Amino acid sequence: MQTAPLYKLQNVEKLHQGRLVLKLPELELTPGQVTVISGPNGAGKTTLLNLLAFLTMPDKGRLEYAGREVRPGPGLTELRRQATLVAQDAYLFNSSVAKNLQYGLNLRGLEPGESQARLRRVLETVGLAGFAERKARQLSGGESQRVALARALALEPKVLLLDEPFVNLDPESEAVFERVIQDLPGQGCSVILVTHGREQARRLAGRELRLEAGRLV
Amino acid sequence: MDFFLGGLWRGLELLAGLDRQVYGIAWLSLRVSLSAVILAGIPAVPLGLFIAQKTFPAKKVVVVILNTLLALPTVVVGLIIYGLLSRQGPLGFMDMLYTPGAMVLAQAVLAFPLICALTVAAITTLDARVMPTALTLGATTSQAAWAVLKEARFALLAAMAAGFGRVVTEVGAAIMVGGNIKGYTRTLTTAIALETAQGDFAQGMALGIILLLIALGVNLVSFLMQSRWS
Repeated sequence: MQTAPLYKLQNVEKLHQGRLVLKLPELELTPGQVTVISGPNGAGKTTLLNLLAFLTMPDKGRLEYAGREVRPGPGLTELRRQATLVAQDAYLFNSSVAKNLQYGLNLRGLEPGESQARLRRVLETVGLAGFAERKARQLSGGESQRVALARALALEPKVLLLDEPFVNLDPESEAVFERVIQDLPGQGCSVILVTHGREQARRLAGRELRLEAGRLV
Repeated sequence: MDFFLGGLWRGLELLAGLDRQVYGIAWLSLRVSLSAVILAGIPAVPLGLFIAQKTFPAKKVVVVILNTLLALPTVVVGLIIYGLLSRQGPLGFMDMLYTPGAMVLAQAVLAFPLICALTVAAITTLDARVMPTALTLGATTSQAAWAVLKEARFALLAAMAAGFGRVVTEVGAAIMVGGNIKGYTRTLTTAIALETAQGDFAQGMALGIILLLIALGVNLVSFLMQSRWS
């Protein structure tokens, strides 16, 4: 039996300040695997991730998620709760690590007990057990990115989108990211990541896509 | 110099003696100015957020108008509010002229552009990643907007404190729409002007010291809140 596509993009175009930055005649992404999108700077990788995270909408064409057409409107919030993006140099709220992690959980109305359990579990997963009460702004770059990853993992999304997750990471944080990326498909979470690194792309990818000048090559 | 120091000393004596009239005036000033800042802040902060975050054709014009309004003379505001609230004015039926309510209204008009402009500046200079971060974590647009305001809380608090500083020290609008009625609409600034004109320098000095203490107190509270939040 053929698996239904997670995302389906048809004739999608995205403009930035009047310039065409992404043109995808046809793209299907299947669930339960690691999809790596590589390409040079300005290839449209981040634009594509933002589309897949429902943070922006196509200027032309059709975007489908789990068989349904994505349209602008209040329904986007529900979709965003299924696909979480960890940006390159992710923003952490000016509060404690715990409050950063609880932000999305509170929006989903999780019970405090469940929220605490998830918080502990994901901090352990990213190797930051005991960091809950630390101030997020006082962490190192690698630790901050790991908190951002933990914040996304705590939400148990169906899709985890990662924008250049290995940039400026220390070896320990890089190993954490690689391990989490490899483990997630087995836990029912699809991973779509953007990277420059060809080595990592080859090692992690269940499927690799290459973007150049806004087009798949 | 003796006149000045003597006035200062007698002013301190009035304060130490818990002069009822002096503290009554101070309490009214505090109430009027705090109410005005809250009244102005309720629309000014969301409007500032909107101007900072949205792209619309007349955005630059709106920002220029807002910045121009920062220099709005207090007597002009007093004049406009007087015109609106006087018996022949469009809001004359509200019978508000020469009441603390009229002073709150006039001071809110004065504080509004300052709080709004400082909110625009605060949000514009805030990290642009806050909104998309909140959205990708599952916030609705209004929840994400709230997250933006929370992240800009230090600057917004400073904006409110600046608004308070502007209105608690103004005299023109307060005297025009409040009328400087003893025990009813007499605030610190209008009283200082009156007492000095009448030659009671010590009374003016006592009120001036309270005004400075209020300004100091507001800044201290703002500082403590910022320290606690950070």
